[in-house]
Amino acid sequence: MKRLWMAVLLLGVLVALCLTNAWYSLTLTRQFSQQLSQAQQLVEQDRWAPARTLTQEVYDSWNGRHFYLHVFLRHSDTDQILRTFRQVLQYLQLEELDQYVAANADLIAQLELLSEMEQPSLVNIL
Amino acid sequence: MFTGFVRTIILYIVIIVGIRLMGKRQVGELEPSELVLSLVIADLAAVPMQDFGIPLLAGVVPILTLLALTMILSVLTMKHVGFRALLCGRPSIIIRRGKLDQGEMRRNRLTVDELMEELRCQGYPDPSGVWYAILETNGQLSVLPKAQEKPPTLSQLDRQVPEPGFPLVLISDGHVLEHNLTARGVDRRWLEGELKRQGCSAPEAVFLMTLDETGGVYLSPRQEG
Repeated sequence: MKRLWMAVLLLGVLVALCLTNAWYSLTLTRQFSQQLSQAQQLVEQDRWAPARTLTQEVYDSWNGRHFYLHVFLRHSDTDQILRTFRQVLQYLQLEELDQYVAANADLIAQLELLSEMEQPSLVNIL
Repeated sequence: MFTGFVRTIILYIVIIVGIRLMGKRQVGELEPSELVLSLVIADLAAVPMQDFGIPLLAGVVPILTLLALTMILSVLTMKHVGFRALLCGRPSIIIRRGKLDQGEMRRNRLTVDELMEELRCQGYPDPSGVWYAILETNGQLSVLPKAQEKPPTLSQLDRQVPEPGFPLVLISDGHVLEHNLTARGVDRRWLEGELKRQGCSAPEAVFLMTLDETGGVYLSPRQEG
């Protein structure tokens, strides 16, 4: 009977780990997406410098979670997001409005897709 | 990650059901849950091992899930007879009191050729000598021959034979196994005397030496080259 409880406990730990990861990835990407949207609003008001600072903060925050991102998420997805971050920062530096808006929208979409993949939904399972 | 966890559970159950439906002949020597585990676990481990773009956890979580499920199933099969029958099936009597049960053969998808092959492997080339043949849940065929076909036992012949002793290895490839010497209640002096008696100079000259409970010694000298 001890083996049964150990196995049930192990399954419980795995479920908890998966659900925590789903919640954390959603919270994280939602926060990043909101900040990136705020940065875009600043750019639309022609306030490039604060937009650059805000986007840089998001980028630093993303990089600060390097361990979590590499341990829990697919590297191809996180690497693609990193590349798009660099593009967005470059367009902000060059103050290229059209290019920036397109790249920022792409970045927000990638972040949303990243957490969407981790959610416990029937669509994902099937 | 959650997707991988749930998919692992669903696919595990689907494969077990599939293997149960395939019948006993496909199972081999493992129970269905063990067979599925051994089939799937190697592939799960190989993917993150080769693809560095996939986190290690993507392989570890499904493997731990499978191990936990297998453990739960093995405990449930031990505790509940009904669950054991559901998961592993029941033995099928293919030959009953000397008569072939063709319906049971059909149910187990057992062909005449396969039955004959199994009987030959068990040492019964003629099915008329078989009283019972039972297809076990692990796919093996157990055969009970007719009384006239059974070799007589010593007790049936009313003969008394001493029980053979279990041999322990005393020297393995020139190395003396001290714990086996102690277990047999002999010492180095006895060993040296026995070696001298058998014409060996030292333990290094012996490849294998055993001693059974009745004092029977087997010695094979080491061959040069």
